[in-house]
Amino acid sequence: MIKVQGLCKQFGLKRVLRDVNLEVKDGETIVIIGQSGTGKSILLKNIVGLIKPTSGSIFIDNVDITKCSKTELRESQKKMGYVFQESALFDSLTIEENVAFGLRTLTDLDEDEIKKRVMQCLDMVGLKNVEGLKPSELSGGMKKRAGLARAIAYQPKNIFYDEPTTGLDPIMTDVISDLIISLRKHLKITSIVVTHDMKSAYKIADRIIMLYKGEVVFNGTPEETRRTDNAVVRQFVEGSSRGPIETDRTFREME
Amino acid sequence: MVNENIVKIAKARRLARKTAKFSLESVYSFLNGVGLYANRTGETFFWILKGQIPLKSTMSQMVEMGWRSFPIILLTSFFTGMVLALQVGTSTANLFNEPVYVGTILGFSLVLELGPVLTAVVVAGRVGAAITAEIGTMKVTEQLDALYTLGTNPVKYLAVPRFVSCILMLPLLTVFANIIGIYGGLIVTVHSWDVSPAVYWGDVLDFMEIGTFLHGFIKSFFFAFIIVSIACHKGFSTEGGAEGVGKATTSSVMTSLVLVLVSDYFLSALLMALGID
Repeated sequence: MIKVQGLCKQFGLKRVLRDVNLEVKDGETIVIIGQSGTGKSILLKNIVGLIKPTSGSIFIDNVDITKCSKTELRESQKKMGYVFQESALFDSLTIEENVAFGLRTLTDLDEDEIKKRVMQCLDMVGLKNVEGLKPSELSGGMKKRAGLARAIAYQPKNIFYDEPTTGLDPIMTDVISDLIISLRKHLKITSIVVTHDMKSAYKIADRIIMLYKGEVVFNGTPEETRRTDNAVVRQFVEGSSRGPIETDRTFREME
Repeated sequence: MVNENIVKIAKARRLARKTAKFSLESVYSFLNGVGLYANRTGETFFWILKGQIPLKSTMSQMVEMGWRSFPIILLTSFFTGMVLALQVGTSTANLFNEPVYVGTILGFSLVLELGPVLTAVVVAGRVGAAITAEIGTMKVTEQLDALYTLGTNPVKYLAVPRFVSCILMLPLLTVFANIIGIYGGLIVTVHSWDVSPAVYWGDVLDFMEIGTFLHGFIKSFFFAFIIVSIACHKGFSTEGGAEGVGKATTSSVMTSLVLVLVSDYFLSALLMALGID
């Protein structure tokens, strides 16, 4: 279970996250939506321990990773996989080595098993005959899928997706959405997905959370999201430039 | 008139406030940088002393730093030896009507100063820049974060092999630079000044002691430490995309070069005081 309590994050004078509270049960998939720059990725990075919060607590299976020892933090990390916005594949390694990286550092599998698992994961994300290629030889969408394969390879209990479908074509977007659903169904993986893609959000989410100006302004099921009267959520899911969400004034004036 | 003076005073105050704020921010930023540098370098030594050195990666870094830097070291030191012989020969010929002690002056210059410093300059430009650019690019493309999420400490994975390789390879390259430079000098001395090779080698070796060799050799270890620690620190501190990587790389090379040249004086003075010269 993942529990975030009173999480605040401040960079200099800028407050990015303000008193964020959320709870994700085992096997649940929650989707975080919100405008660009509203703190969604920062929230994910706080949860995995990449950024230290200014205040508040983050519990992964009842261990507060903001206060635990390095050993406990490392144990918690083994339970977490992260799909980066820009893939973050290691340039100097082949795709096979990238996907195998976590298997070598976090598991005791032998080389034959690692190779087999790498092939399985690449197959799951629809990548074939790319094992020997370097990330620079792949398209943006292929890199994204390779990053996803790397994150699921060592079968972590929790996976965090930072915009997993951005830059993918509609068919591949649906394949990734199906994959997230299948991971939850078969492996009982807990997922937190940050996305702007509402179609994918409605499909994969058990609950949808909306962040606005660093605060949680909505928390509900996809059905509740569709029917909500919350003007901020309505404007975002409908993709309208008119409403309570502040957009760029220059564009408004140009209108 | 009174109003104009009030405006001028207000402007002057604003300027003074801005200047004071800028100075304070610069001091804070500098101290913060020094703290981070000490922290990362300390962490690197912690892993090295713990024996946690990734062997495969260290070997490939040694090939990259040592073997791939060798051709440029060969060229620079060979021609440095040649030009030294030319200059020393001309100067002594003008003074004493014949080129004398060419090998002695050349040997001392190379082994004590030019060998270690020139090798450090080449390594700072080639290896230091590459280290900063590589780690910096990994930082701005979130690859360092990815390492962390995959249970790998970025300092241990990236800095430790580079530290070990640079500290082993730079002194080795310095020894080769000294030998190649002396051979470069030999060619010019024999062909331009008609001095026999036996006389040249006699000049080179007669006054050279083990302390002379150690003086340059010990300095090269410190230069290696400066270059690799600055390069890694600048890489890990890179911010702001491709432009940030460029700035970090330039800053890494410039800082290393300045520190190598400044520390050269103090190290030489210290080693001389200890009788190693």
